[in-house]
Amino acid sequence: MVVRIARKELLEMTRDGRFRVAGGVVALLLLIALGLGWHRHSNVTAAHEIAIAQEREIWESQGEKSPHSAAHYGVYAFKPTGRLAFFDPGTEAYTGVTVWLEAHKQNQFLYRPALDGNTLQRFGELTAAAVLQLLLPLLIILLAFSAFAGERESGTLRQVLSLGVRRSDLAVGKALGVVGALALLLVPAVMLGAAALTAARADSPSGGLVRTLFLAGAYLLYLGAFVGVTLAVSVRARSARFALVALLGFWVFVCLAAPRAATDLAKALYPTPSVQEFAAALAEEKETGIGGVDYDDFLEARKQELLAEYGVDDVEALPINYAGWRFQVSEEYGNQFFDRHYARLWDQFEAQDGFRQKIGFAAPLLAVRSLSMSLAGSDFAHFRRFAEQAEQYRRRLVAFLNDDMRDHAGAGFSYRRDQGLWSKAPAFAYDAPDPVWAVSGQSTALAALVLWLVLSAVLARSAAARLEVS
Amino acid sequence: MLEAIGLTKLYGSFKALDSLDLSIEPGQVFCLLGANGAGKTTTINLFLNFIEASSGEARVHGLQVAENPLETKKHLAYIPEQVMLYRHLTGLENLEYFTALARHEEYSQDQLRRFLNEAGISADAIDRRVSTYSKGMRQKVGIAIAVAKRAKALLLDEPTSGLDPKASSEFSELLKSMSGEGVAVLMATHDLFRAKETGTHVGFMKQGRLVARLTTAEIGHADLEGLYLEHMHG
Ligand SMILES: Nc1ncnc2c1ncn2[C@@H]1O[C@H](COP(=O)(O)OP(=O)(O)O)[C@@H](O)[C@H]1O
Ligand SMILES: [Mg+2]
Repeated sequence: MVVRIARKELLEMTRDGRFRVAGGVVALLLLIALGLGWHRHSNVTAAHEIAIAQEREIWESQGEKSPHSAAHYGVYAFKPTGRLAFFDPGTEAYTGVTVWLEAHKQNQFLYRPALDGNTLQRFGELTAAAVLQLLLPLLIILLAFSAFAGERESGTLRQVLSLGVRRSDLAVGKALGVVGALALLLVPAVMLGAAALTAARADSPSGGLVRTLFLAGAYLLYLGAFVGVTLAVSVRARSARFALVALLGFWVFVCLAAPRAATDLAKALYPTPSVQEFAAALAEEKETGIGGVDYDDFLEARKQELLAEYGVDDVEALPINYAGWRFQVSEEYGNQFFDRHYARLWDQFEAQDGFRQKIGFAAPLLAVRSLSMSLAGSDFAHFRRFAEQAEQYRRRLVAFLNDDMRDHAGAGFSYRRDQGLWSKAPAFAYDAPDPVWAVSGQSTALAALVLWLVLSAVLARSAAARLEVS
Repeated sequence: MLEAIGLTKLYGSFKALDSLDLSIEPGQVFCLLGANGAGKTTTINLFLNFIEASSGEARVHGLQVAENPLETKKHLAYIPEQVMLYRHLTGLENLEYFTALARHEEYSQDQLRRFLNEAGISADAIDRRVSTYSKGMRQKVGIAIAVAKRAKALLLDEPTSGLDPKASSEFSELLKSMSGEGVAVLMATHDLFRAKETGTHVGFMKQGRLVARLTTAEIGHADLEGLYLEHMHG
């Protein structure tokens, strides 16, 4: 029965010119978005591969110099783009995927003024994720707003119900019909996506399939909720026109107004300094002494420890290269300070993300967007993980160089090394997180989506049970 | 087969139907006559459980409609004043869908075509979308749907409005043969001539009340018209 109803709904939709046009446009946009995403993704990945190879070569062939100068020479670290970033580039457009690493500085590689952008900006950059998040709900509304209201208005509902059809069967059948129509539209996109996914050269292969399945699940929850809400409204609405207006209002709220408001609210509740303010705060603390401790005092204390350790009372008498040791002390003096400032900034960004997830209970778009970016490995949490690993790597590299200098006593400032050392320096390897790590920060978003789906199904069911003939 | 006991429908304090008592046995064709607004459609809606009775009850095959909404509909077929169909589907696809919903999956395409043919849809129209159909053709599809349902009782709400005289007369023949097979029919109509032709009983309804009931065997056509005018405007 349910299948029979679904089949008829599907047949009607495929014959209705309006639906064909709307569906065709959305399917086409999705294909274009996938194509653009693919293009961007393969460009970035290819560029990375070349850059990584060149970078190491440049590093190793920097010639003869002091190890500390080499630390200042610096290296680039590249964030591997996940396979799924072509589907949802998330925040990568704003955070970037490259970091410049050098001695004494945790570079301010992160500033994301437009990270959370508003919805119009997201429309501006056509991504497959945006099509699924914004346009598919609109299509669902167009496909299903008249499911009940239209049949009631035209009078076919009287005849159908006079046959003794169960109202719940009617509701489930119509829901399946919409799902079928969407499936039909998505077939080419899913096939293209799957092909792209298997062909994608990913620097981070971690859990590609699992992430894809999770991602599909998240979108099913999201779109299912829209089907439920649309049918529920169609049952309750006085007329098809009223149903359409109400549902478009719902769409505007969920897809345009709420994300905008959530971003503004998140910024107000968890304010972050501007680039200039952040830089000024760093400079000011440096001026007054990091953590209230003057560098000279810090150095003096460490020097006394060092002298005591070796049982000498002058640096000249030390069996190590004092200049190299001092470079490392100055490095460590700065590190604690970077840790503090960046942790504070990044915690704020994370708090903003967490807040937006919570708004997902009011507007499911925010929930699915958060989950989508996270599963695609392109959200802020993934970026932070990369940035922190890159910073740890920077410290290892700088320490490696400074320690080499320290261990060569007597050479002083004029100590020189060459490729022999440079090629032994550690290379950066990103430890990509597994899918479980990705979703573990998304429990709020997931809960919001599940709740929306369950509620909308209950709503549609109970509305259908009380379906009025006229 | 169809039974109303003190059936009443109020809209606020307005009595759309006032304590209707009615019993239609298998093979009987009860024609409900009355001006617009008399309460004919209300009666049929109550048998279909589309609206809730204010008091009294409607029964189909001995079962209370309000308590057995799905079970009682198995015994009923309904043709509204304006049969509405799915405009993007063909006549055949519409019939196929409606019969499937009535849980008659057993018909072959040929049988379905025959139902439409017998209801008066020409062979070339059967596979056309119904958006090209006239009102009369839609009524005919409605008739085919009702016939295919093989119901024990028919609820007809001015089913022949919009049909040409030939189709209307064919419909009368169909009704006669169905009542001959033991189907109980409740038909709201304005057509005194058809009522006399096909009805076994007629009832006059005025402002929600059934003011008179007669068997058609007792009266001639001229008498029926006279009686109608007498009861309605007298
Ligand atoms: N939903 C409603 N609310 C108020 N009055 C109604 C409603 N439906 C029908 N009526 C009134 O009930 C009376 C009977 O209507 P109906 O049974 O449709 O008449 P008819 O005999 O023409 O089929 C009419 O006066 C009509 O205006
Ligand atoms: Mg009427």
